[in-house]
Amino acid sequence: MHYEAPVREPLVLGNKSYHDVTVEVAKPIETAPPRSWWIAFSISLLLFLWGVGNILYTIGYGIGTWGLNKTVGWAWDITNFVWWVGIGHAGTLISAVLLLFRQKWRMAINRSAEAMTIFSVIQAALFPGIHMGRIWLAYFVFPIPNQFGSLWVNFNSPLLWDVFAISTYFSVSLVFWYTGLIPDFAMLRDRAVRPVQKHIYGILSFGWGGKAKHWQRFEEVSLVLAGLATPLVLSVHTIVSMDFATSVIPGWHTTIFPPYFVAGAIFSGFAMVQTLLIIMRKMFKMEHYITIQHIEMMNIIIMVTGSIVGVAYITELFIAWYSGVEYEQYAFLNRATGPYWWAYWSMMTCNVFSPQFMWFKKLRTNLIFTFIISIVVNIGMWFERFVIIVTSLHRDYLPSSWTMFAPTSVDIAIYLGTIGFFFVLFLLYARTFPVIAQAELKTILKSSGEEQKKHHSEHDGHH
Amino acid sequence: MAETKKYWKGLEELSDSPVVQVLRENEFASELPVDRFLADDKSMNSSATSRRDFLKFLGFSTAAAALAACEAPVVESIPYVVKPDNLVPGVPSYYASTYFDGVDFASILVKSREGRPIKIEPNAQALINGSTNARIQASVLSLYDTQRLKKPLVDGAEADWSALDRKVSDSIRSATASGKSVVLLSSTVNSPTYLAMLEEIRSTVANFRHVSYDALSVSGKLDACEKMTGMRALPVYSLADAQMIVGVDADFLNEANGQSLTADYGKGRKPSAEMLRHVQFESVMSLTGANADKRFRILPSQRAAVLSALYNAIARRAGQQGVKETALEAELAKSVAKTAEELWNHRGRSLVLAGGGDYTSEMLALGISRLLENFGSTLTFKYRNQLRTGDESALQGLVNDLKAGSVGVLILDRCNPVYDRPEMAEALSKAGLLVSLSEHLDESASMAGAVAPAHHFLEDWCDHQPVQGYFAMQQPVIRPLFDTRSTLESVDRWFGLGGKSALGRVKDHWLNGRFAGNVDRWNEFVHDGVFVAFDEIMALAEPSASTDPTLMDGLTFSSAGAQGLELAVYTKAGMGTGRLANNPWLQEFPDPITRTSWDNYLTISASDAKEIGLENTTQSNGALNGSRVRITTAQGKVLDMVPVLIQPGQAKGSVGLAVGYGRTKAGKVGDGVGVNAFALLTGAEAQQQFLSGVKIEPVEGEHEFACVQLHHTMMGRDIVREVSLGDFLNKPAKDGGLGWNERTEFETYAGPMNADKVNLWKDFDHTTGHFWNLSIDLNSCIGCGACVIACHAENNVPVVGKDEIRRSRDMHWLRIDRYFSSEMTEEVAEEQSLGAIEKFRLMEDPSENPQVVFQPVMCQHCNHAPCETVCPVAATSHSAEGLNHMAYNRCIGTRYCANNCPYKVRRFNWFLYHDNQEQFDINYAMNDDLGRMVLNPDVTVRSRGVMEKCSMCVQRTQYAKLEAKKAGRMLKDGDAVTACAQACDTGALVFGDANDAESKIAAAKKNDRMYYLLDEVGTQPSVFYQVKVRNNA
Repeated sequence: MHYEAPVREPLVLGNKSYHDVTVEVAKPIETAPPRSWWIAFSISLLLFLWGVGNILYTIGYGIGTWGLNKTVGWAWDITNFVWWVGIGHAGTLISAVLLLFRQKWRMAINRSAEAMTIFSVIQAALFPGIHMGRIWLAYFVFPIPNQFGSLWVNFNSPLLWDVFAISTYFSVSLVFWYTGLIPDFAMLRDRAVRPVQKHIYGILSFGWGGKAKHWQRFEEVSLVLAGLATPLVLSVHTIVSMDFATSVIPGWHTTIFPPYFVAGAIFSGFAMVQTLLIIMRKMFKMEHYITIQHIEMMNIIIMVTGSIVGVAYITELFIAWYSGVEYEQYAFLNRATGPYWWAYWSMMTCNVFSPQFMWFKKLRTNLIFTFIISIVVNIGMWFERFVIIVTSLHRDYLPSSWTMFAPTSVDIAIYLGTIGFFFVLFLLYARTFPVIAQAELKTILKSSGEEQKKHHSEHDGHH
Repeated sequence: MAETKKYWKGLEELSDSPVVQVLRENEFASELPVDRFLADDKSMNSSATSRRDFLKFLGFSTAAAALAACEAPVVESIPYVVKPDNLVPGVPSYYASTYFDGVDFASILVKSREGRPIKIEPNAQALINGSTNARIQASVLSLYDTQRLKKPLVDGAEADWSALDRKVSDSIRSATASGKSVVLLSSTVNSPTYLAMLEEIRSTVANFRHVSYDALSVSGKLDACEKMTGMRALPVYSLADAQMIVGVDADFLNEANGQSLTADYGKGRKPSAEMLRHVQFESVMSLTGANADKRFRILPSQRAAVLSALYNAIARRAGQQGVKETALEAELAKSVAKTAEELWNHRGRSLVLAGGGDYTSEMLALGISRLLENFGSTLTFKYRNQLRTGDESALQGLVNDLKAGSVGVLILDRCNPVYDRPEMAEALSKAGLLVSLSEHLDESASMAGAVAPAHHFLEDWCDHQPVQGYFAMQQPVIRPLFDTRSTLESVDRWFGLGGKSALGRVKDHWLNGRFAGNVDRWNEFVHDGVFVAFDEIMALAEPSASTDPTLMDGLTFSSAGAQGLELAVYTKAGMGTGRLANNPWLQEFPDPITRTSWDNYLTISASDAKEIGLENTTQSNGALNGSRVRITTAQGKVLDMVPVLIQPGQAKGSVGLAVGYGRTKAGKVGDGVGVNAFALLTGAEAQQQFLSGVKIEPVEGEHEFACVQLHHTMMGRDIVREVSLGDFLNKPAKDGGLGWNERTEFETYAGPMNADKVNLWKDFDHTTGHFWNLSIDLNSCIGCGACVIACHAENNVPVVGKDEIRRSRDMHWLRIDRYFSSEMTEEVAEEQSLGAIEKFRLMEDPSENPQVVFQPVMCQHCNHAPCETVCPVAATSHSAEGLNHMAYNRCIGTRYCANNCPYKVRRFNWFLYHDNQEQFDINYAMNDDLGRMVLNPDVTVRSRGVMEKCSMCVQRTQYAKLEAKKAGRMLKDGDAVTACAQACDTGALVFGDANDAESKIAAAKKNDRMYYLLDEVGTQPSVFYQVKVRNNA
């Protein structure tokens, strides 16, 4: 049984009735997209196609079209990979962890957060593929029976763990997301007037009938999947961090990486959710559902995780000094004062200093400020990965091999291409999927007989 | 007797009706008359196919289809109709031969696979120059240069040989008739056969003469030697007998007048109380100076002054008269005096070498050697040195004749005066007919009226006599690839000597001469590649040095202190004088000192650069850029757009510029790379190899360098270990943390442990079977880079071009790291109580006159390899023999292994380097059909997207193992040797099976000086290093 203290602010504002929720959630799907959507979609599509072109160029000519070299074997590719995976964390955290913790406020945002997860994991998954010198042999990384004798994958390799972690995470997230979508698709099916639309939503809703048994199964599956997804939130980025932590490169070989990466991932994920939702609530006029309270809650999480990340940064520096390992000491000194000092200080400013503003209620409830900080945080998190990868590699053990890295136009195009791809997916989603988990949301509508009567009388008054 | 009683089967038979008769006949099948049937065309054509025919056809067609399917497509491969006896596919053959291009000389073995020469290896039987440097190692690639001359040219148009011969011999005849001279201009020639042929010509053609010159002339030196001994020949050095060597501007490790001193140097530098001490005075940081125990910076013009100061100091000790002396700075004078003292203590066992090619320096150097009683011990004139015989005065005479128009025919052989004596170009055009014997249509050949394409040395017969009594045979190892002809043959035809083939002439020379018809001795000579006429050598006596008291008079000292800077020309280890400028391996070879490839540049000291406002900057992608300058000499010669490279160790007030670059007609690879330093030299300056009063002004724009090492110092890290000789001799290597070669220890719960013991891994068992190890002696390694090119050739390492090198994508499996010392050290930082940031910032700057160390680094074959664990597909795995393998087929190119390699030795194929016409069209090394002929068939050519690295020449160890197995014996030490170890003539690299207790490698592993690079990472490498010992007494 759920008990809610009466002093608590309602999670959905505007005295919505169930019907209002239905109508408002279905509205973007049932109406023609506005001009702004078309503009955003066109830009995203162009970026996406530009990215695709550059990916094909890379595959056609070789990884040499990127700015990598003998010393820096990974740069933007893996930076982007980790960045996108990190962004993908918020969705699962919101829908699974907050579900388990019975945080009802998640209901207005979990659908879009999960969509963001799926779409960003798709972007992330691109990079381990295209960064391979011979992508046409990518299937070698799967432990599939083969004709090469007893040739098996190397289970020692963190890259292989990545393959498992990412694919597990992606499939569980997808199933979880889809499960939540079923009653909402059914709602759309029931409202659809055009037969094609009705048919499609009919298929998508898996014959949902809204029976008690259906609801019971739905609840159970959601809970089970939430249970499954929760450890994944921690495991995925833990394993991604092991790509670095298990290596011998100073600046990578750090035991703090798993928690630090997870915190960072949640941090960047929430920032991305902020960026998307602030735009979406404005565009789709969903201020009553995605309220300032939501924004504030997420800002608090950003502040907390940002501070955890900050502590991790400082711990790294301390441990480098404390370890007495000259290579490690130099690696961290070089991060802060070497040729890539600007990347390090961008990271520090964006990730550690900027979230501290969220201590002030006025700032954390300010939409414009939140929006700016959410972008700043994601820039900072991109730099974090860049700093970890490039500044550690470019000056490792033997100074004779020290060099620098600069991206080529192809590096940039592929990165922007994934941003384009992400928004193509997200914009399509926003026009075809119920962006708020309305079935769930209806369970937290505060409705009483009084309200209902008031509503009706108001409604009648119009006639 | 038997009763023929007949039982009938029925009434029908009894009655024998016609029906029964037919049935009886048809009861058993009669044989079909197939032959008759098939032969009968008429019935065949008329009859329909029967069932049996159908079955026959079916059977036939099934069989035919099955057979057709079995047949593999054969693509342009033609098997031997009659296989040559000595050629087994897959088994290499070795031929002894000789390399001499007028500059470098070496007795070599040529490795040939299926008829293609693919690798040059040193000939261990040789007593002189049986070693290969980078240039000689690379020379095999030039054989497959598509831009070589393929047909004779007459007046610039392709012609056939008869037309060319007619033209040249007609010209010779008419020149003779009109009293004009016929001249053959060449670089140094030391072939007895060739010289005999020239003698023969001289006896028949009265107005014929032969002039030889050396690109970097040592004519003045030869004059000095002549004055000293009465013999116009350079001394032969015996470094093995020396305990101290002083080089005054002499880059003797790179180039010692054609003699290779590296092997003896390597032997002498083995650390012991008797270790060779090396002091160097020089302006440009040379390979030799980099190896010196003590290096002093002098201006090029001070060369003679330093030598005379040395002379006088030693003369004072010897109680002899001194020579005129110019004052040196107090500091330098003190160093010279100290050096003189040391030399005196090593008299009879010391060597003083002077650089340049001028008379004064050599006279002083010889004078010092005479005072030190070194004649006959460390240097000798007993065996006439024939590696440098060029005569500048004869060349000047030729120029005068040319200008006077009295030269009817001028034949150029193995020389390129338009390039290396640009002033001669005008004179050359005045020759009646200019004939060129050249492999390329080079700067000079393109001026010639007749161009006779010469063989590559691997296609040609010749003999050589580097020093008196010592002979070397040059035998061809492949049929000529193009329509070229041996020089011996061409000259023979033109002068009407009877049309002998090159082989015929060489063989006749030996059989009619020294071998007196003994074909066995001839065969032995060809087989061995070398022949020593001991009888002749034994009869030779050391010529007495001149006792003329006026010997040292008349020395001219160049005046220092002229306005402007002094510019020294020098040769780079990779390019020499530019003969092989069209060789991609050499162009891509990073200079040992500057680590820069595909360029020459003005080396300048940091302080001078600052004064003039020149700088080197690192771009955002790590590439190096540099200012450009205009050089104006005192004679008013100008060289524009010369890139500037700031060189630690360059003497202030001097700059250096390497020759061998700035070719304009070398071919696609070499054209337009760098600037031509020869263009600045004239007359006397060419002799002393420097110019005074040079003006340097910055010009607009930046030059883009291709430098593979941007960071010059070790940043205070324990990378190259070094110990002074005193400490080495007197202190223990391991002394509870105070020794000079301690292993890294970690404090653990179980007490202090070495890095290799602190691990979570299961150890490989390397106590049984082979355990291939490589020892690298940092004391013997001089950084020459012969190993780098040897590895290039052996392992099909791609050439990637300047742009890719700029992007730090060099592919060399073996690199030689070069570190300069810095003024900033941990101790200094502590003394000045500097913070870490400031300390590391200052550590990045090398000293003005740094100590230099070289460290060859290739895959360390870690037994706990960081690369092996991270590969997701197990493409890199460990072998039971201690090697780290790469399975190229399995590699998907994640580059994780390269990132996780602490030594950064893994190389990624960023592009399709072996077939990349678009990006690397100039590079023939792997990019055209002919260039691919040099590929080693035992080593896979890597495709795009694959990681590659040193395999410790696994193909060689496998081959040796199989050979031993076939012979039914154990593998002996030395059976398997890597290409790098083989090419290393200082003995710095030793390879072998560490499990073989008798092996050299097992001994090296037990040496006190042995240490592992980055031991503390716990990688347990199969490669180890030996601590460098500096003899800084």
